[in-house]
Amino acid sequence: MSRATTESLTATGGGRVGDSPQRPDGNLKVRGEFAYSSDLWHEDMLWGATLRSPHPHARIRGLDVGPALAVPGVYAVLTHSDVPGENLYGLEHPDQPVLAGDVVRYQGEPVAIVAADHPETARRAAARVRVDYEVLEPVTDAETALRADAPVLHPTNPDGNLVRHVRIRHGDPAPAADVVVSGEYTVGMQDQAFLGPESGLAVPAEDGGVDLYVATQWLHADQRQVARALGLPAERVRLHLAGVGGAFGAREDLSMQVHACMLALRTGKPVKIVYGREESFFGHVHRHPAVLRYEHGATRDGDLVYVRAEMILDGGAYASTTAAVTGNAATLGAGPYRVPNVHVDCYGVYTNNPPCGAMRGFGAVQACFAYESQMDKLAAALGMSEVDVRVRNAVEQGSVMPTGQVVDSAAPVAELLALVRDRPMPPAPSAPYDLRELPGGVSNTTHGEGVVRGVGYGVGVKNVGFSEGFDDYSTARVRLEVVGGEPVASVHTAAAEVGQGLVTLKAQIARTELGVERVVILPPDTSVGSAGSSSASRQSYVTGGAVRAACEEVRAAVLARAGAGAGLAGGKVVSAGGDVLADLVEVLGGEPVERTVEWRHRPTEALDPSTGKGFAHVQYAFAAHRAVVDVDVELGLVRVVELACAQDVGRAMNPDAVLGQIQGGSAQGLGLAVMEEIQVVDGVVRNPSFTDYLIPTVLDMPTMPIDVLEYADPHAPYGLRGVGEPPTLSSTPAIVAAIRAATGRALTRAPVRPEHIVG
Amino acid sequence: MKDFAYVAAPDVATAVRAAADAPGARFLAGGTNLVDLMRQHVERPDTVVDISRLPLTSVEETKSGGLRIGALMRNSDLAAHPLVRTRYPMLTQALLAGASAQLRNMATVGGNLLQRTRCPYFYDRATPCHKREPGTGCAAVGGFNRSHAILGTSASCVATHPSDMCVALAALDAVVEVEDVRGTRRIPLADLHRLPGDTPHLETTLAPDELITSVELPAPAAAPSRYRKVRDRASFAFALVSVAAALEVTDGTVAAVRLALGGVAPKPWRAVEAERVLTGAPATEESFRAAADAELAPAVTLDGNEFKVELARRTIVATLRDLAREGSRA
Ligand SMILES: Cc1cc2nc3c(=O)[nH]c(=O)nc-3n(C[C@H](O)[C@H](O)[C@H](O)COP(=O)(O)OP(=O)(O)OC[C@H]3O[C@@H](n4cnc5c(N)ncnc54)[C@H](O)[C@@H]3O)c2cc1C
Ligand code: SF4
Repeated sequence: MSRATTESLTATGGGRVGDSPQRPDGNLKVRGEFAYSSDLWHEDMLWGATLRSPHPHARIRGLDVGPALAVPGVYAVLTHSDVPGENLYGLEHPDQPVLAGDVVRYQGEPVAIVAADHPETARRAAARVRVDYEVLEPVTDAETALRADAPVLHPTNPDGNLVRHVRIRHGDPAPAADVVVSGEYTVGMQDQAFLGPESGLAVPAEDGGVDLYVATQWLHADQRQVARALGLPAERVRLHLAGVGGAFGAREDLSMQVHACMLALRTGKPVKIVYGREESFFGHVHRHPAVLRYEHGATRDGDLVYVRAEMILDGGAYASTTAAVTGNAATLGAGPYRVPNVHVDCYGVYTNNPPCGAMRGFGAVQACFAYESQMDKLAAALGMSEVDVRVRNAVEQGSVMPTGQVVDSAAPVAELLALVRDRPMPPAPSAPYDLRELPGGVSNTTHGEGVVRGVGYGVGVKNVGFSEGFDDYSTARVRLEVVGGEPVASVHTAAAEVGQGLVTLKAQIARTELGVERVVILPPDTSVGSAGSSSASRQSYVTGGAVRAACEEVRAAVLARAGAGAGLAGGKVVSAGGDVLADLVEVLGGEPVERTVEWRHRPTEALDPSTGKGFAHVQYAFAAHRAVVDVDVELGLVRVVELACAQDVGRAMNPDAVLGQIQGGSAQGLGLAVMEEIQVVDGVVRNPSFTDYLIPTVLDMPTMPIDVLEYADPHAPYGLRGVGEPPTLSSTPAIVAAIRAATGRALTRAPVRPEHIVG
Repeated sequence: MKDFAYVAAPDVATAVRAAADAPGARFLAGGTNLVDLMRQHVERPDTVVDISRLPLTSVEETKSGGLRIGALMRNSDLAAHPLVRTRYPMLTQALLAGASAQLRNMATVGGNLLQRTRCPYFYDRATPCHKREPGTGCAAVGGFNRSHAILGTSASCVATHPSDMCVALAALDAVVEVEDVRGTRRIPLADLHRLPGDTPHLETTLAPDELITSVELPAPAAAPSRYRKVRDRASFAFALVSVAAALEVTDGTVAAVRLALGGVAPKPWRAVEAERVLTGAPATEESFRAAADAELAPAVTLDGNEFKVELARRTIVATLRDLAREGSRA
């Protein structure tokens, strides 16, 4: 039946924990042969299309699907009244309709869905649905939204347009300092800009349920929300992971999932939905734009005395993960520094702007841009070097965070800063010039003249895993059996491979723990328990932990069956000293050993609502950057010449994958620093395309020398520390600081554009 | 996309006949602009005349020492052509500064000349736009207008002509040759595109069924020339400001200058005023600045594009400075 679900990947390339075996999907992706969710196909399938609101805020006075139904080739046209279950979903807080009922709250909100025998027919029919909108004034400024007289966008929300207010109160409420610096910073709305648009295929099943093949980050969260909207028990809504073309947070929320299932159940036929590129900009949440007001106080010697911050995060029309993003921004808002007195107010707000939610860095990015800009200001006010003032205040193991949480594993912040500082500087450009190395690149602007070099630093702290008391766990089923005369391990989890390399990593763990060569990684689906989301830099930790735990149970069972031995290696049962005691094939015989384990990290705690105190984060992760930029100060063009990064990863489970994560994260930070921004005017997106939403190309990316430290975290499996997000944090402020150094401009906004340098 | 009739034209006669027979028809060349616009329902032709196979893909030398370029020549082929590279380096530079390698492999000379603006409101049918629907208004004036024009605009429309190639052609005094069922005619490039005035939907002086068959370049000047483009990333982005210039300096004095601007006007903008100020003036930074100031004096800015005046000034001065230096080395 359906082609292009994630096939079982037999990872025979070898490789244990600490190796970098080749990824099974690598060659396929490079050759263009990898099957993404947009390639899904089923005989006799229909195509779905979505009608979206052109208005950021409107009341729906009437809906007429008649003209759409009349189009030949159309099988179904559905609206809110056709949602079989509850017309409400949401990751943390269900407030978003599957299809808008009486009101639309953002431009692009789905209003009706169509299934037809051809995608173009479906789109045309959708355009014929008549919607009578009463256009309402949109609320497009987050601070205005918080005013008492602002229209309340979600009448059932007790706090008006406030999604969440997090307070951190630490130390003396009225501290005094010798040196005080303050600033207001702005971060634009960044898009995850994944390349594979939202897509999936829903296949109706004989039991009245549905099988949904979809690119997502968290199968079980989707399953829970889809089942609720369909009014079906979860076991009749089976999800299968299809090929994921990038995620970065944008696939945490639902997009086409319920729509495709509704159409499939209504028509009795498989239904595929693939968003176009422009539609994709309306199909997922973005990074919260933020306004951040900071005040830092320090002694004359450069010791931080206090940090005061007010942060306003524009969550857009629906809550999505705004509450958790707000929690992160607040709890990490003082940065990786020892600050005795901290006072933070962080607000997540509803507006009629596009919904914002998860994106790599998740609230910590916005805060990091502000506090790192502040640290540079402080260094200047103190007459200290930017690195010295950071090192002087850097957290270390044993430090207390503003939440009162003690940093209970390695925090080599000072060492990371020293590593990037002490790298040799890249040479200044010199004749004969290669245009590709100069600001403006091949646009033939400067040929070396008017180029000023700047250097900037950034360091950040990110939490790993789900925080604030969330029951964060993953499930792994591991089976050891004899196939073709050889011992073979198979690993089954629901964890989404979103490109980070989890498929490879799970096999590495199974090989390490079970001493076998052949490992089969079964396709992720909901027939095994939840793995949690592929987000928050957590899958190596949590699903890695679950796979290891399941392997340990399998190994214990095998050893018990063998009646001897201390471990498995090279397909044998071995003693503690490594002597071969038995052949695994013989011990297993025809009887496989299988164990399913639900594994959780140590529990975290909710924050105290009035003080923000609590053991909120299971692990902290740190990265530092040094950015070297050349700026054509005459034309305002920037070339990032080098972006050096140092990061502690606890244990490099797969060193190549670690480097890939650091490079990718740094690149996304570069994009935010100098070009990436969704332009929203009066609630309407003005650049929903890759022609107008610019992301870095190969010509914009610098060399990235990387130092990886491995200080084991005793609480984490293998000592590992989440890798994916920290480099996204510090890259942006380091680059902007370097541009400030080159231009002397204040540059309080990311991204920086030519007009901010020339204007 | 709306349904349309499709005519594949094997020769020019068939193409112009088909266009004459079907009012509102559109020629399809590389399709890199037209197809996007049709998908967005901004262009809704009933008939599409596919001209991509017309044998208008060569570069020939003219009797007067110039070049005649076939209208269906791909942008990448034109940029790489030895006669263009050596005699009109500014044109090669402008072509290579445009779009991406993939797009340049599809885009043609004729299509590039007639590509439509990138004003986001022009593409968004939910907004008023005089260019798309005359009489509806202009959403850009009070909206997102960072990329919009500062010269030659009107109250009706402030959109830019986005082409790089055309800026070089404007500086080079190119002539466009067109044909329809009535015959052929030649239009100086400067007269091909119109300013918006009260009729921003009328972008050129072509009749709807006129086909561009070639572009003629006069004999090249010996002066050093250059195309300089300022944009938001190192490649693959439209110009915020661009300058095509050729500068001939004799004994420290500007003997001849050609200057055209991109990214700042509704048409490829020949900087006539700057040329007037420069010709005969000492080839100094002060003259360059005075010329830029004279050209930009009538600039009208919007909320989002004020920076373009200073950026254009700096880009003009930097380009002329470069050329003066290069000329004095030669
Ligand atoms: C992502 C992207 C980035 C781009 N970046 C740049 C850039 O940086 N700089 C730049 O200059 N351009 C850029 N472009 C625009 C690109 O240069 C144009 O799309 C291209 O030149 C159009 O040529 P075409 O042959 O594909 O035209 P088509 O799309 O086929 O046609 C365009 C128009 O011209 C008409 N037409 C075509 N040929 C003729 C003819 N011979 N006679 C009469 N009418 C004709 C068509 O009817 C149509 O109205 C970009 C385009 C895209 C999609
Ligand atoms: S600037 Fe021109 S193209 Fe843009 S909205 Fe106004 S009228 Fe339309």
